[in-house]
Amino acid sequence: MRTVTFLPGYRKIEIPRGSTILDAAQRAGLNINVVCGGLGKCGKCIVYVQSGKTSFDYQKYEQFFTRDERARGACLACETTIESDLQVFIPESTLIQEQKILIDGQETAIEFHPSVRKYYVELQPPTLSDPSPDLSRLLWGIQKDGGPVAEKMYVPLEVLREIPAILRHSDWKSTGTVALVPGGYRLVDLQENDTSKRLYGAAVDLGSTTIVVYLWDLVSGKVVGVASNYNRQISCGEDILARVNFARKNGLVKLQALATESINAAITSASNTAGIDREDIYEVVVAGNTIMTHMLLGIDPAYMIAEPYVPVVRRALSVATGRIGISCNPNGGLYVFPAVSDFIGGDIIADILACGMNEKEEISLLIDIGTNFEVVLGNSEWMFSCAGAAGPALEGGEVLFGMRANPGAIEKITIEPGTLNPVYSTINGIKPRGICGSGLIDLLAELICTCVIDRTGRINTGIPNPRIRTSGHFPEYVIAWAAETGIGKDIVITENDVKNLIMSKASVHAACVTLMNQAGITRKEISIIYFSGAFGNYINKKNATIIGLIPEIGIEQIINIGNGAVTGANIALINRRKRKILDDIACRIAYIELNAESSFMDEYTSSTFLPHTDLTLFPMVQKLLDSCRIAKE
Amino acid sequence: MGFDVQFGWSGTITVVMLGATKTDGGTRRISYRIGGGKTLPFLEKTPDSSAPLIAFEICDDPQNWSPIVRNYCGDKANDCGEWAKSADSVYGADMVRLYLTSTRQRNFSDIASLGKTVDAVLSSTSLPLIIEGSNEPKIDSDVFLKCGEAGEGERMLLGTAEAGRYRSIAAAAMAYNHAVIAQSPIDVNLAKQLNILLKEIGVSRDHIVIDPYTGSLGYGFEYSYSAMERIRFSALKGDADLAMPIICSAIDSLTVKEVREAEPAIQDDIAVQWEFTTGLAAAAAGAEIICVRHPRTIPLLRKAFSNLKAGKVSDGGQ
Repeated sequence: MRTVTFLPGYRKIEIPRGSTILDAAQRAGLNINVVCGGLGKCGKCIVYVQSGKTSFDYQKYEQFFTRDERARGACLACETTIESDLQVFIPESTLIQEQKILIDGQETAIEFHPSVRKYYVELQPPTLSDPSPDLSRLLWGIQKDGGPVAEKMYVPLEVLREIPAILRHSDWKSTGTVALVPGGYRLVDLQENDTSKRLYGAAVDLGSTTIVVYLWDLVSGKVVGVASNYNRQISCGEDILARVNFARKNGLVKLQALATESINAAITSASNTAGIDREDIYEVVVAGNTIMTHMLLGIDPAYMIAEPYVPVVRRALSVATGRIGISCNPNGGLYVFPAVSDFIGGDIIADILACGMNEKEEISLLIDIGTNFEVVLGNSEWMFSCAGAAGPALEGGEVLFGMRANPGAIEKITIEPGTLNPVYSTINGIKPRGICGSGLIDLLAELICTCVIDRTGRINTGIPNPRIRTSGHFPEYVIAWAAETGIGKDIVITENDVKNLIMSKASVHAACVTLMNQAGITRKEISIIYFSGAFGNYINKKNATIIGLIPEIGIEQIINIGNGAVTGANIALINRRKRKILDDIACRIAYIELNAESSFMDEYTSSTFLPHTDLTLFPMVQKLLDSCRIAKE
Repeated sequence: MGFDVQFGWSGTITVVMLGATKTDGGTRRISYRIGGGKTLPFLEKTPDSSAPLIAFEICDDPQNWSPIVRNYCGDKANDCGEWAKSADSVYGADMVRLYLTSTRQRNFSDIASLGKTVDAVLSSTSLPLIIEGSNEPKIDSDVFLKCGEAGEGERMLLGTAEAGRYRSIAAAAMAYNHAVIAQSPIDVNLAKQLNILLKEIGVSRDHIVIDPYTGSLGYGFEYSYSAMERIRFSALKGDADLAMPIICSAIDSLTVKEVREAEPAIQDDIAVQWEFTTGLAAAAAGAEIICVRHPRTIPLLRKAFSNLKAGKVSDGGQ
């Protein structure tokens, strides 16, 4: 065993020789940024070995380090094996930080009619002349108080065992909690005395990156607390595929535990803010993508990532929270959104519920861009969906100076024509450390408008400007000079980064077009594009159109629904009828497997152009680009 | 024929002028107007519809050229002026395509020699020329400017622009009024993208010839064929960004296994058949210029084209 000491916190961990620094850090509970899942591809897990012996192939990963960084002992945590006791410094930028998480759901006026209710009943004790059993007495009481018909309520054994003592101990004054579950009504809890005002529920957006929890008072119908944090599974790989591979190698237990831990942390934090007892949370509604929810439920997703990509379960699931380890009332119910396929999960069903496209006559296009992207096209009569990997580029991964939406990320940028000097703003207004997704979209649009790049994304190195140069393998554009940054080196975007971004945007656009072709409609028939997800909320709609991320329709017809997953979860939590139609929505959506769609590759190639090879699909952009080209001459 | 040979299409292939005669301000004895088609090849029965042009490929440094061709051509292969002259007067080509293979040596820097080579070829043949420049982005600009300058006024066809490197060749073509070969890797979308890129930096549509990249028969030609078909269909349906003439050069034909390993006695025959069949298929897909390297392929193709034009079934060149 070797001892690794992590600075600056002096956290120590014992680990077998030959393990990687990444293994050690994860065991020490340090969340290292591993975009590529520990394959040595992303260069985000830079750490500095301060003393001790390691083995690391510098030459192979040369492109990730400056000379200065190398001199200070920089290496990639995932590719460095431990030979002796070590002291390792982990810079702040390598750790996953609290990030800008989209909490706000959409304001929706939804009728308040939750699936779980409490009934306070004062019962007459049994006598020789009124010898009906405890349970009947209790259920009749609940029925008389406005609850469901006594015969229709199911009572689990665990609750039944408690009934006689509670009724007698409380002098026959007690509060029963009744939940509407798929099988019917269920008495999930019985408490002494009147606790009917203490009934809460949590709506959870279980994202692969972030988790958002809304805590509702299910008596008054008000939100009492909101909390969010990142999904701790990130330490096992950034994208879903990396995590499923992690589960294959190391088992599902850790990922399941990390998912519940992440949800619990958010629930606890929201409960503390609201000043409530977690025991009073009786219902947790979770909307998440299919793999996330499978992992949460401890169902092995290993078979889902290989052809023919079938999920284990599609329908909505209800289980007792206690069985999953969610910290709330152990008899409470965990409701998990239904899914359409492996790749169209409950989060998308929640998006649909949130934007209401399933009830509208006109055709909408819903796009959810996160670590992966999902697209749904349709109206109240029909819906098509598909999903794909946009690659992490749009979220700042696999881009040299790409980063998550953390403090210091450039989130907005414009470039002055002529001087090519950028004007940017960063999250929290501190010195720039990198660029996040919304900044990258802006950057791409600005670079094409100022003719720094051509329509295939190649940088015109013929432009005489110090910001355009070739260093290393690729031509690059300098966004910020070392002196103005918070990281001490020039922040640039390379031609390779631009290429990655174009490939990402091309897959999103090609997916939209594939669905449109499937439905036999053109962009002109789409009345609204809904953007869901954190990414959609922060991006500039016009720039997203300029680069051809989405089909061109009027800017004013693009609506950000914000965090649709949590909005949908909220709706399902507080309105039982809306929850009931979820399975119907999920069943009605046709899933198009892009891999099996021969035209997809063609659409993709024609989308790998700014904005698109078929310029007639982007008349507004074409006019704009023509005008900035003329302006330049 | 009892059907509409235009299939209701509305597009016309843009006419590109290659070579300049005295009246055009050059020194060529002939100039060609390629393109102009409104339907698929060999369907138009108007007397002025022309058969595809046959270009004979030569180079200024034959050390990596096919030994089959070097043996057949003999000493001429070492003097591109002489070689070009034979292409014209002996082999009967319509055009000469000169590959400046000398630029492909390591650290090539003798740019001035290229001007002399182009001059020599221009003076030894009066056919229009196609010039293939370097393979090295670093010297592209100098090479193309030198060639462009040497052939100023001759309306040459310069090759080869690709999506990754098109600026320097486009600059030379625009400065000296030559046309450009735009090559993309067997994909209709990529072909269109490159044409848009060229157009956007100022190359007009009537100065672009598409090279869809031609794999040789048995080695991917079917992909090239299908890409060419799609390019042509899009053009005829009205996509102006794809409505350019097509040039095909199946340069791998003479190095495929079947040719390389053929019995010496029949190696020439096999090589010629391979080149002929590939070239004929490319013409059937719509190519306006077919490039060949074996002199014996030229008469075979010519005969096949004239048979096709006359509506006769080709007899495989025999």
